Amino acid sequence: MIRRLMVVAVLLIGAFLLEPLRVPTADVVAPRSLFLFGLLLLVADTLGTFFHEVGLPRIVGFLAAGIVLGPSVAGFIPPPVLGDLGMIKELAVGCIGLLAGVELRISEVRQRGRAIIGMLGGQLLAVLPVLALVVILGRTHIPFAAGLTGAPLLLVAVLFGAILSVNSPMVTLAMLTETGARGPLARTVLGVVLVADVLVILLFTVCFALAQSSLGTAQASMWGILGSLLRELGGSVLAGAIVGALIAVYLRFVKLELVLFVIVTVFATAAAATALHFELLLSLLTAGFVVENVAPVRAEPLVETLHHISWPVFVVFFALAGAELHVQEFLGLWPVIVVVALCRGAALRVGASRGARWGGADAATVQWGWMGLVSQAGVALGLATVLARRMPGVGEAMATVIVGVIAVNESIGPVLFRRGLERAGELGVSGLRPE
Amino acid sequence: MTGTLAALAVLSVGYILAYLLFDRLRIRFGYVGGAEYVLLGLFLGPTGSGLLSSDALRDLTPIVSLALGWMGMLIGTGFRLPRLALLEPAWVGIAFTESLTTFATALGALLVTLHYGLGMTFTEASLPAAALAAIATVGVPAAVDALARRGFADHPFLPALRFTARVDALVGVVAFGLALGVLHVGSVEAGVRIPTATEWVVINLAIGIASGVLFHLFLGPRDDGADPADGDARLFVSLAGAIVVASGAAYYLNLSPIYTNLVLGIVLANTGSTHEPVARLLAATERPLYLALLILAGASWHPDGSGLVWVALAFVGIRLLARLAGGRAAGTAAQDPALRAPSMWRALLAQGGLGVALAVNYTQVDGAPLKEVVLTATVASILLFEWVSAAESVRALPGSSPPAPAATP
Repeated sequence: MIRRLMVVAVLLIGAFLLEPLRVPTADVVAPRSLFLFGLLLLVADTLGTFFHEVGLPRIVGFLAAGIVLGPSVAGFIPPPVLGDLGMIKELAVGCIGLLAGVELRISEVRQRGRAIIGMLGGQLLAVLPVLALVVILGRTHIPFAAGLTGAPLLLVAVLFGAILSVNSPMVTLAMLTETGARGPLARTVLGVVLVADVLVILLFTVCFALAQSSLGTAQASMWGILGSLLRELGGSVLAGAIVGALIAVYLRFVKLELVLFVIVTVFATAAAATALHFELLLSLLTAGFVVENVAPVRAEPLVETLHHISWPVFVVFFALAGAELHVQEFLGLWPVIVVVALCRGAALRVGASRGARWGGADAATVQWGWMGLVSQAGVALGLATVLARRMPGVGEAMATVIVGVIAVNESIGPVLFRRGLERAGELGVSGLRPE
Repeated sequence: MTGTLAALAVLSVGYILAYLLFDRLRIRFGYVGGAEYVLLGLFLGPTGSGLLSSDALRDLTPIVSLALGWMGMLIGTGFRLPRLALLEPAWVGIAFTESLTTFATALGALLVTLHYGLGMTFTEASLPAAALAAIATVGVPAAVDALARRGFADHPFLPALRFTARVDALVGVVAFGLALGVLHVGSVEAGVRIPTATEWVVINLAIGIASGVLFHLFLGPRDDGADPADGDARLFVSLAGAIVVASGAAYYLNLSPIYTNLVLGIVLANTGSTHEPVARLLAATERPLYLALLILAGASWHPDGSGLVWVALAFVGIRLLARLAGGRAAGTAAQDPALRAPSMWRALLAQGGLGVALAVNYTQVDGAPLKEVVLTATVASILLFEWVSAAESVRALPGSSPPAPAATP
């Protein structure tokens, strides 16, 4: 560990020594971005190993590497560099979407459907009201709620609860890949986070439109926004089904160079998603689901390939996600953030456990399943960004608190999930990849 | 909307049809190339459907740099001194005679062609000529391996031929790296003295050696008790980080990331205990990166270079001439009659991913002249030589007659 960090330090010194000889470049990403991206990978790998050795999930190490090198702490990786690496992150998101889709088997959804619905319902029915109540009761201490009363306060509080109801499919998949867990708790949690991803986005849209109307900042009617979102979701699912069918055809007739095929598929889908305004993650999730459930035997090589490339993908995604976290926002608002995170955790524990019991889940899932739902990452950050951009004032202030809560949940969520899997006896022996 | 969907549909169906067509060619004629991937890139890129825009291509630089560095490091790890010491001295003589003669012939012919054909001064023509000569020199053992699969595995000349292909790659990359150092283009920060040609070469070499030593320390001793799957996944991340860092340093200075990573690879191959897993992992992941480079070369290509077509055709001819000269010089100079193979050049025609890698690298050198010409010539040459290399290679071995055509499976 120390040897590795010293090597990284020497590399940084070397970069400073070379700086005066730097030649201006065109048509390539700034060499500085490349150099720092490489450095981020090395530090993420080092901290991931260190965290693993002390019994914590590797992804916490990747996140820590991003936070430490990112703009929030050391500032080695400035925001423009993160912008330069946007496409790499998009590739990672696409691969994760595809991986999530092939992990979702219809037989398992049927088998655990009631437990999944129960946990999801319990989570939403507990987290949303509890967090809304926290905002209403603590409005004098919470920047975005100060000065609001009546319906605007209620709707803003519900919106806040809706955003923080979302989970993280990325973290869940990364944890399942790292630990090799394949038991009932792992599969049920995966089902919950994948379904919640879609459901909470719909819920967010309704709450967002209502809050905007009450604050007088609405740019379109609720039905207009909802219609547009449904079109986007429907389009994503349809596009995903088409991509999935094309993947199935490829697996049927060609079945070679799958690593490259996955990369080209992700980029082509990303380009189409940008042009046609649909959601990349949801499309590729649907594509993976179609491939796995329409032609499961032929999908095996694809699943194997995705597992092979998953680890580097997770390192890149979480290291960049860590670098994008604004830790300084946590410092100014830490009492509010800690209270909200604790209340969310408590609500999750009660709601998800009750829901799991109602759904007939096994005892371990009832007791420890909530631990897999604490993590938040990309989707929640995306919703916070929308909020900040489209609801000036209240939305920006709310996004600041939400990003702080996400930072806490993203850091402790994987640790809790690992603990939950451990207690449920579902931890793999040592594998980075499942059998 | 309709346009994008149509482009995606055409892309998918076209690719599968192209693959099926090329697969038949592969079975029937032993075709080893990747023309379909260049065409795929052309279709995806700004010249074709525009699914990959110029900005997207720019954003893909980290992947390109990884692929370029990967190629360089893979060649470097093949040069492990304890193994080289066991080689027949005659093989070394043959290999270096063939490579250096090929490079010198190609360089001379290209200088003359660019001077008289495009009206460039010899000084202006020196960098593109050196780059193209390096690309003409590089070779891969793909056709030699195909020979082994076609019943010549025990032929005594085959190891010498395989080693020659590796030395071709080494000489090509080193010549390319040195050319970018000696003929360095681009300015440095204001107020800083511009390094001399020798200093650029030393700086480039020093970056490679220092990176090699640092990553040797970073990787540390091999953990024999570790889970191989775990080890490979982590090693991939460490190697990717190392390669991107070294490539970033080379890009900083307008130098070649392939050359820097070749030096890094040689250092890693000759230090510590991790060289075997490193070489294995690099080799296992070479093909997807090679194909990715072909796609990106196709996507980067746009038909606006002056004198594009005829220079490309001239390059193909010059490469053939240079290979012939190199093969003849090395094949006739050998003292041992068993190693006398004037037709050895026929087995050294395949360029593989390395030729594309050097061309793509050249297009990224800020201020380098004739970028489009170099890329077009390289792509044309690869498409042609990959096509014929497998068929030609059977005539390369001394005292062998061509085998019967491959049976259809």
